[in-house]
Amino acid sequence: MFEREDETVERVIQQLRRPVAIDPGLDARVMREIAQVPFPKRRARLLLPLLAVAAVLATVLIVARPWIWNSASKTDALQFVLVAPQAASVALVGDFNDWDPARAPMQTAHGVWATVVRLAPGRYRYAFLVNGVEWRADPSAPAAKDDEFGTPSSVVTVGGRGS
Amino acid sequence: MILAALLLVTQVATQDPRLERLDPDTRATVVAVLDSARDVGLPVEPIIQRALEGTTKGASGARIVAAVRRLAVDLGTARGALGTSASAPELEAAVAALRAGATPEVLAHLRDVRRPPLTIALSVLADLVASGVPADSAAAAVLALAPKARDADLVEFRRAVERDIALGAPPGAATSVRLNAGALDVYGTNSSSNNPNNPTRRSRP
Repeated sequence: MFEREDETVERVIQQLRRPVAIDPGLDARVMREIAQVPFPKRRARLLLPLLAVAAVLATVLIVARPWIWNSASKTDALQFVLVAPQAASVALVGDFNDWDPARAPMQTAHGVWATVVRLAPGRYRYAFLVNGVEWRADPSAPAAKDDEFGTPSSVVTVGGRGS
Repeated sequence: MILAALLLVTQVATQDPRLERLDPDTRATVVAVLDSARDVGLPVEPIIQRALEGTTKGASGARIVAAVRRLAVDLGTARGALGTSASAPELEAAVAALRAGATPEVLAHLRDVRRPPLTIALSVLADLVASGVPADSAAAAVLALAPKARDADLVEFRRAVERDIALGAPPGAATSVRLNAGALDVYGTNSSSNNPNNPTRRSRP
């Protein structure tokens, strides 16, 4: 049974190995047929305006990139942390939340109060409000030296070129 | 009379609702300051935030009014130095630099030597002075680094100076030492762009 199958396979292989005579004029005929196929003019008609639009868009993007970059709502997520084991509540208030304690309550874990805020590029003044009455600056950030209200504040500067 | 009442109603209706947190007298004066600022093309958001800061901190109306008036004046000075194309964040940072002791000439020089935005450079200048660095030394350092340093390099420079000061170095000396080292960083190979602790990308301010 196996020998019979081997013979069949062998015959197939021999057939496949037999040289095939190709008409020497085949290449020429194929190329003639290709040459006679009409060029897709409709596509060409669409292609040129598309290329023009793409070129204009690319130019606009290159020229306007600095302005687009500046105005984009690019934000950085910053984590603010205050260690205050005795505090019952801490709120982060600043230029980024209209100095509204209700808008940025901080969460605590073993006296470490933290919150994450997304900020667009800029310079922001802020402070921590502890227990609703005590203002504290951020010990890990530059102090706002121009504080005019008699309580400490800090400053954070976000983002910028090359950062 | 009716027209005046209508105008008043219109003004109240178009007024920023956040200003409702101010007492009526203070609010009226702050609104006038905001209108004046708006008329001359100054950004009003920093002024609103200063008023809100004051009221949240329990400051008196007189103190709030004085603060917003002073800020409006300083924003105007900053714009005079940086030009009309300066953005609101740049003007705010410029006000901080001016109040730290930088002159309008320093701001104008910075504008000439550095491509915008100038927000970080101006903030670094102000923060250096807040750390105890003499204003002229801080200005000289920032102006020296400004043409080629990236924002991240400037922030790292400030942090390095602050670290040295915290360790006991005199602020002026710390600035000049770090300026030389910073020059190597900026023009050499030790750039902070690949620093995982890049301060403008780190998780803490």
